[in-house]
Amino acid sequence: MGRQKRSSTAGCAVDMTPMIDVVFQLIIFFIVTIKMEQSINEDIRLAKAEYGPMIEEEDPRTMVVEIDQRGWISIHGAQLSRAKFQKIMIGRAKRYRQFPVLIRADRRTDHKDVRAVMDICSKIGIWRINFAAIKQEVT
Amino acid sequence: MRKRKRRPADAAELEMTPMIDVVFQLLIFFLVTLKQEDILSHLDVSRPAPDPNAKQEETFKDLLTITIHRYGYMLKGKNRSIEQLERDLTRLASFSKSVSVIIRCTSDSQHERLVSVLNICAKVGLKKLSVFSM
Repeated sequence: MGRQKRSSTAGCAVDMTPMIDVVFQLIIFFIVTIKMEQSINEDIRLAKAEYGPMIEEEDPRTMVVEIDQRGWISIHGAQLSRAKFQKIMIGRAKRYRQFPVLIRADRRTDHKDVRAVMDICSKIGIWRINFAAIKQEVT
Repeated sequence: MRKRKRRPADAAELEMTPMIDVVFQLLIFFLVTLKQEDILSHLDVSRPAPDPNAKQEETFKDLLTITIHRYGYMLKGKNRSIEQLERDLTRLASFSKSVSVIIRCTSDSQHERLVSVLNICAKVGLKKLSVFSM
């Protein structure tokens, strides 16, 4: 880049152009990578499973069901009773027939709470259940 | 902010200061809100129907039952630690990967135990997994 010649009074001015270039690059990077909608429950601590296959391109029909430590069911951050959850699942099954179900259950959840969700799924004819786990933790 | 007096040759230059201020604010905002996410994996199981009049499953030769209870794991009726279970399953999978694995969970077992068993199955390459509850 060509340096501008400045008079001796402006001699100490720094050339801003490269810095602004870098800063804009950074901002564009952050804008692109930011995820605004945070629909997951932050309290849920998933179990570790480093050998499971990675979650790649998600099927848009995927239903993510979260079960927290105490067994509360929530979808997209909204807590639901089991009856309400079942109603939602039945409605969804009417529309899509089959759709993938991903269960994000806390590692300390009792199996009976996971079972309740799985039973509702099998009631509406969904046999394949996916469990989410952490493949690699960010430090 | 004080306006600097410029010579007429510099008159066409833009005042950069406000823009840089804003850009830095944005940069700091994004830096602060950035949160790295864990890489997630998914473990697939099938959930057989709890249908009482379904015909009793013929006793398949290739059927392996793992029981998960609150305090540990059982394989073929014997208590196993997670390391022993991993060793046994690795050996079994080296003979045949088409073994159907039935995982039976007691209702008070933690979900973490189920995930760790599924993790081992994924590691050794067992694909036919079913989860039963009891």
